[in-house]
Amino acid sequence: MAAVIELQGVGKSFGDHTVYQDMHLAVEEGETLTVIGGSGQGKSVCMKMMIGLLFADEGEVRFRGAEVSELDHEGLRALRQKVAMVFQGGALFDSMNIRDNVGYALIEHTSMADEAITARAWECLDMVGLGQDRGLLERMPVSLSGGMRKRVAIARSIALQPEIILYDEPTTGLDPSNIRRIGSMILKLQKELGVTSVVVTHDMPTAFRVSNRIAMLYERHFPFVDTPEGFKHTEVPEVRNFIQGRVRDGA
Amino acid sequence: MSNFTESAKNVLASVGGVLTSGFGWVGGICRLLWDATIRGARRPFGIHDIFYHMVSLGVRSLPLATVMSLFVGMVLTWQFGEALIGFGAKNAIGYASSLALVRELVPVILALTVGAKMATGMTAELGSMKVSEQIDAIASLGADPIKKLIWPRLVAATWSLPILAVWGNVLALASGAVIADVVFDVPADYFYETYVDELWPSDYLSGLGKSVVFGLLVGLIGCYQGLTTKYGTEAVGISTTNTVVATSVSILSMDFILTTIFLPVS
Repeated sequence: MAAVIELQGVGKSFGDHTVYQDMHLAVEEGETLTVIGGSGQGKSVCMKMMIGLLFADEGEVRFRGAEVSELDHEGLRALRQKVAMVFQGGALFDSMNIRDNVGYALIEHTSMADEAITARAWECLDMVGLGQDRGLLERMPVSLSGGMRKRVAIARSIALQPEIILYDEPTTGLDPSNIRRIGSMILKLQKELGVTSVVVTHDMPTAFRVSNRIAMLYERHFPFVDTPEGFKHTEVPEVRNFIQGRVRDGA
Repeated sequence: MSNFTESAKNVLASVGGVLTSGFGWVGGICRLLWDATIRGARRPFGIHDIFYHMVSLGVRSLPLATVMSLFVGMVLTWQFGEALIGFGAKNAIGYASSLALVRELVPVILALTVGAKMATGMTAELGSMKVSEQIDAIASLGADPIKKLIWPRLVAATWSLPILAVWGNVLALASGAVIADVVFDVPADYFYETYVDELWPSDYLSGLGKSVVFGLLVGLIGCYQGLTTKYGTEAVGISTTNTVVATSVSILSMDFILTTIFLPVS
């Protein structure tokens, strides 16, 4: 399969803190790649580099062969119509109702009429299982539960029918039934829309369930990339310790 | 000797650190102004957003601007009246008050109070959006946060403050006339005539020009502090506090610079 996103020899630091050093990773067309690793190691940074919200200090981040850091304003705008991101807390716009949140990209990038935007917003909400209550469109984000906010954020990300969706810890802070629901949604979107997905998560059951491949961030790069089955049966101590939640001696 | 050298080094390092961060801050403000001008001043101009923020920043600041202008007019007229009585020149109270109020006090007091309110509001709002990743979300949806968030606030602040200053000048004149009449027995209509007689169009323009610059400064500082907020809710509080300090110092510094520019003209 062809790589849609490639990170080659990437280095990234924030002040004295080096997050990535000679990091390589490829996301293949149509797959769901899950990124795992300890808290604060830079998994979200990796995603933000993929969508051009952050840029690598060294190396290359390529989307379909194009170097992301070399894209101009219009190039980045075009990239972000093809690559959508679901943020950890949902990042819904507090000042807008759900209809305007979900339809934001449509208002920004298309000349669709108000009615068509409302219809498309409703369709997206229906896809994420929020199609029972039409009144939801007029509600404000603050009135939604954590699980609903995440699902609305996913609905917002699919409004423009992107090729790739980046999920930044989509299950964090949710109860087990909502975690399962979000996992099912990721699988459903991959199946029905054919999107390529990159999922950052700490939740190993979700990672095993939704992934075609898993990449583990360890010591500023991804030394372990394998299928879920490979990860389950790995003999590599660092990987086993992480997925079984073991603490290393002296750590 | 070595202790002295060490202390001198530390002092120099501290001064250097302050200067470096100060220049970095000014550079960041200039960069934001450049980006907002280049990316904001393009179609669509976001007229709806600009008017929304003018209402939010300007109209909602009317009560504060009204109170501040009334009191500054009364206090200054009273102070000048007391001083002029000593020279037997209380009838010159209108002449004495007008220049100080129109050229200096109304624009500066409004910028320090209403402007600080506007700037902290912007910092708190943008800072909260930053820590909850809403600004990243706007960018990730292919929109430009500078165009969507910064440009309308800058334009609104730049227009709102001079409009409020016009309103403030009228109120300061009215409240000064009341004090002249009631306290110093100088008829209000005479106060008005002498007040207006002393002023040249350039005096009004220098006052308004200052308000325009102060408005722009308020918008830039409020937005910049919001955009550079670090992560965590505590950071929003720190940014907002820094905004009050930065706004006050910048307005008074800029006032001195503008006074040196405008005074020879008027």
